[in-house]
Amino acid sequence: MSDLLEQLVHGLTLGSLYAMVATGLALMFGVVRLINFAHGEFYMLGGYAFWYAYVELGLPYPVAGLAAVAAMAAFGLAYERAVIRTILARTWHVQLIATLATSITLTNLAIIVFGTQPKEVPTRLSAAILEVGGVRMVWQRVLVLVAAVAIFAALEWFVAHARLGKAMRAMSQNREACAVVGVDVQQVALATFGISAGLAAAAAALVSPLFSIFPDVGALLTLKAFAAVILGGFGYVRGAIAAAFLIGIAESLAAGYLSYAYKDAIAFVVMVAVLLVRPQGLFGRRIGI
Amino acid sequence: MRATRWVLGSAALVAVPWIAAAVVPGQQRYVLHVLIFTALYGALALSYDLVVGHVGSLSLAHPAFFGLGAYTLALLATEARWPFALALPAGIALAAVVALAVGVPMFRLTEHSFAMGTLGFAIVTQVVATNWVDFTHGPLCVTGIPKPQVGALRIATLPAFYWMGLGALALVALLYRGLTTFRLGRAFHAVRDNETLAAAASIDPLRYRMLAFVIGGGVAGGIGALYVSYVGVLCPGELTVSLSVNLLVMVFLGGVGSLRGVLVGAAAFTALPEILRMAPTWRMVIYGLLLLVIVIRAPDGLEGLMRRASSRRRRPASSGA
Repeated sequence: MSDLLEQLVHGLTLGSLYAMVATGLALMFGVVRLINFAHGEFYMLGGYAFWYAYVELGLPYPVAGLAAVAAMAAFGLAYERAVIRTILARTWHVQLIATLATSITLTNLAIIVFGTQPKEVPTRLSAAILEVGGVRMVWQRVLVLVAAVAIFAALEWFVAHARLGKAMRAMSQNREACAVVGVDVQQVALATFGISAGLAAAAAALVSPLFSIFPDVGALLTLKAFAAVILGGFGYVRGAIAAAFLIGIAESLAAGYLSYAYKDAIAFVVMVAVLLVRPQGLFGRRIGI
Repeated sequence: MRATRWVLGSAALVAVPWIAAAVVPGQQRYVLHVLIFTALYGALALSYDLVVGHVGSLSLAHPAFFGLGAYTLALLATEARWPFALALPAGIALAAVVALAVGVPMFRLTEHSFAMGTLGFAIVTQVVATNWVDFTHGPLCVTGIPKPQVGALRIATLPAFYWMGLGALALVALLYRGLTTFRLGRAFHAVRDNETLAAAASIDPLRYRMLAFVIGGGVAGGIGALYVSYVGVLCPGELTVSLSVNLLVMVFLGGVGSLRGVLVGAAAFTALPEILRMAPTWRMVIYGLLLLVIVIRAPDGLEGLMRRASSRRRRPASSGA
């Protein structure tokens, strides 16, 4: 029983990671109708930024985490200006190949700069163990869960009440109408990329102490986050978050009880199984944040 | 005139081993090796373009089909001692059957989702190839794959492999031509260019997409089988996503949906690393950037440049256009 609970806690941690990455993907898709294949690489770069700030510069954990988020938000803005803006008006083929090309370039640059040896970033929280009723977990997992809930609550508030959040929501419904009533659609798209990249970096700063950072961590992550986005109903952020937790739990249960080696295939199998029954995803066919 | 050029060109291609021996005596082996890879990559890129360029489905599953054919031949030839003449068709058939089985759920997805789903399939295939050690030998690789032998004909020398690669390329090019011209080709392009309109003209998009996907998969399996029988070793690393990236670079560098373009792209792509002579990691960085620049700046690839050049030659008066 406690074994099952431990697997569930692991699943929730994984789910938080996938949800933060999937949220970014879903936001981008909602606002500019583009799938960013390089999104997993944002997480990877965020992880290295965090490692650099925390291990190399010796900054305290919260400062290092925020520094990584800020660095990646800036990177997201630069990426929007340099790559996304030139391909927004093009067909989805071009968009897909361009972002895939970015992903390959970033992964291999990371191999050159950081090497293939995974970087470990243990913190004080990732060594301290919390025991509740026979269930043992490290404090870092508690932090991940609490932070994830806080981030999603903040995001929910932001999209519902903040001016920029409302503009994002409006753009996900009708881009032309937004431009007509004077919403600066380019600025909103730019901000969306900053926020999405920042979210990926936040995920990296939170879970890197549990998992290691390596150059091609992003490929599988993009795939799983995308599976969550498809399952959640394209572009529907809450659906994507729910599906991400589902995938995280399914994966950790499969790793615990079926086979550790094949755990990476689970997200994909779940996705195909669901799509065979419900091609529109688990939570209906609603486009919009 | 055209026919003579064709005959001369084909004769020159067939005679390459002797030409290479005469022109670059010390380097003949190396030149042939590069050319064998070029021929096999060219054939693989054509089979990929059948799906990407002609029915417009951006599949990333091609490494999986290549790998299925490769593993089928490798395992049948080493463990079951099947002759090449049976193992090769088995590889093609298995890849095609799997393409059919995977295509059924995948074609329920559209655009990005299809690309992501097929990428997922490719990754799962590689995960299985790496982890199912009892069957595929995993990271220990399948070694000692015998050289192909059909009856009395044994393909063991570099020139023989070159002719095998050239023959495979010619066959695939013929198949590609046959499928993409005539009525079938027009149906493919109708599905690619306007799915709704095609369906309204009673051209079932799913059927034609599936046809291109299954044939493309089968051909990729066959090329995979030929590839391992030339190289002699098969590791799970051959099935990585970077193979998809290589194929995308070849197809887009050359020109999507064009026989000449894809072949030029494959030749340029295989020659490029020989010219650049760089570490593999830098190579992937360059391919990534190259692909990015091509899709953004020159989506027609080299074929677009060649077409513009030849039309300028034909109509020198209207150079203003």
